Amino acid sequence: MESNLKARIRPGQARRKQRTDRTVRAVFFLAALISGSCIVLITLFILMKGIQPFLPGYAYGSVSLKDFLLGTLWRQDQGVYGVGFIVINTLISAFGALLLAFPIAVLTALFIVKIAPKPVKPLMKTVVELLASIPSVVYGVFAAGVITSLVKGLASLAGVSTAGGSSLLAVILLLAIMIFPTITSLAVTAIEAVDPDLELGSLALGASATQTHFKVVLASAKSGIFAGAILGLGRAFGEATAVAMVAGNKLFGPTFNLFDITRTLTSTMLAGLKETTGLDYDIRFSVGLLLMVVILLSNLSLNWVKKKVGNGQ
Amino acid sequence: MGNLFFNRFLTQASFSVNRSAVNWELFKKGMNEMKKLFVFVLTALLVAGCSTAPKTDPTEGGTATPSASAAINVYTRDATSGTREAFEKAGDFAEQLTSSAIEVSSNGDMATKVGADVNGIGYVSLSTDFAANGVKPLNFEGVAPSEATVLDGTYGMQRPFAFTTRAAGDYESAEKEQLIAAFLDFLQNSTEGMLVVEKAGGVVDKSQGKAWAELAANHPIVNEDNSAITIATCGSTSVEKTLKAALEAFQPLAGNFQFTMNQTGSGDGYKRVLGSEKDGANRADIGFASRAFKSGEEDTSSAMASGQYCIDAVVTIVNEANTAVANLTQAQVHDIFTGTVTSWDQIQ
Repeated sequence: MESNLKARIRPGQARRKQRTDRTVRAVFFLAALISGSCIVLITLFILMKGIQPFLPGYAYGSVSLKDFLLGTLWRQDQGVYGVGFIVINTLISAFGALLLAFPIAVLTALFIVKIAPKPVKPLMKTVVELLASIPSVVYGVFAAGVITSLVKGLASLAGVSTAGGSSLLAVILLLAIMIFPTITSLAVTAIEAVDPDLELGSLALGASATQTHFKVVLASAKSGIFAGAILGLGRAFGEATAVAMVAGNKLFGPTFNLFDITRTLTSTMLAGLKETTGLDYDIRFSVGLLLMVVILLSNLSLNWVKKKVGNGQ
Repeated sequence: MGNLFFNRFLTQASFSVNRSAVNWELFKKGMNEMKKLFVFVLTALLVAGCSTAPKTDPTEGGTATPSASAAINVYTRDATSGTREAFEKAGDFAEQLTSSAIEVSSNGDMATKVGADVNGIGYVSLSTDFAANGVKPLNFEGVAPSEATVLDGTYGMQRPFAFTTRAAGDYESAEKEQLIAAFLDFLQNSTEGMLVVEKAGGVVDKSQGKAWAELAANHPIVNEDNSAITIATCGSTSVEKTLKAALEAFQPLAGNFQFTMNQTGSGDGYKRVLGSEKDGANRADIGFASRAFKSGEEDTSSAMASGQYCIDAVVTIVNEANTAVANLTQAQVHDIFTGTVTSWDQIQ
């Protein structure tokens, strides 16, 4: 027995183990370095390309930063590049989608975790995961075929005309469907992680199951649910292909009418990207840069809200 | 650091696994209330879904007709599109397009969207399948768009894809000169070349085509290994699609030569093969223009070969249910697309 122990802590073997640890640590570090440097590289590249058009001495005639940021007209053919209204449109469509998808997603998550009968639960989870994995272009085709005709019908009921259903409302509905699974799956994880003792305590104090679900479970899980909302919002901001198919890409704005066509930052970057050169090409990097700033600011403000309502969780 | 994260991840994962099983047993009894609520919400959603769905039917497809006073929805391609360039030139409204235009992403997208909008008006290339998309092609200045009217020149919304080469003898090698002559023969005169160009969207007169096997006899160079020769093209960006298709089709037929395309705009087509930049860094062997070369300014008489290899035709389209309009003059196209005319009854 003793000799056995001695063999186990032989100095050579310990060194070998330490070496393995060091190697594994180095591999992990390398992985972290690669993923981290990707972010840095992308940001630097976009920054360098995106700032170009505003610098004096730019090859295709520099653009005024003020006109770019506050502009309400985007006309490539006339050389007018104003994104102010596009930023507003992007915020409206993304937050509109969040407003629509968030309550449905949270209630769905609550249903899946707490209410659904045992056999239904995995089924629902699979459905949500399937929804999350559908490629955006498929959503786009669906939106162009189904959502637009739905919106067209709604518009004719309301007595207004739409451009064949392409509208702000169609964009919001499409984005709401797209971000719903993201928020739901994160909310499911958050709700599952709530300490069961909390619920038992609530029930023991005489609260009904419904009261417990809304006041104890959701309240304890709100930090994780907010994380889902932030991720969902990110997807709504970043979606280009599907949105471009139903937005109508208005040349001026901003758009506040639900049945009017709109234009988002991503659809602006995408339109004609493959066939363009010069300023019209470079300015797309500026739009991308602006989009990153918009996403960052929205995430920061949502995080701030999360801290406020999360009571320091 | 890494270890810490990993540990935390493990504990969290195992927690959530334990939990769900306990919950179900404990809360089974308290669920009725919530269940009712959800059944109610689900039913409400279902009812809402069913009741809105049929209402969309009457407006779908081509059953509805636009009222004469309805506003016109103008559709446009994005600013980089060659079709848009051709159409704006034909309607004489470059840079004056109305800002309320709806921008679509491709030729097919245009046809689909106008096909779904009874008040829509847009433009597509002649090769589009009108009926399948539910759109109706409009006459221009009284002439119906078709291959025949485009070729005889009566249909006005068209532009030629013209080419010119360097002057005879002004090439790096005699082999290259012969190869270029062979390619242009293939592009202009062979049935194979015409089919490739047509497939890429150009209008060609196939009745003039000859089999390439017959034409190839005049070009012994195509039987050599030409992989060391690189043909450089320049000029119009609009020709890119048809030209690239033709070059790629010709490569295996002519000893796998190489090619580079530097398409920057019709203005450079003449300049870089015969004009001021013909010996500069951007020199090219064949220059292209999506218009006829300007007589006087762009004199192609010294070129080894010049001419046109196909025609690009654009067609104005409206929804097939639209009975308000069947023919447009250039002035009407101008007025509609610049936003001067905004409703169907303003078109006489």
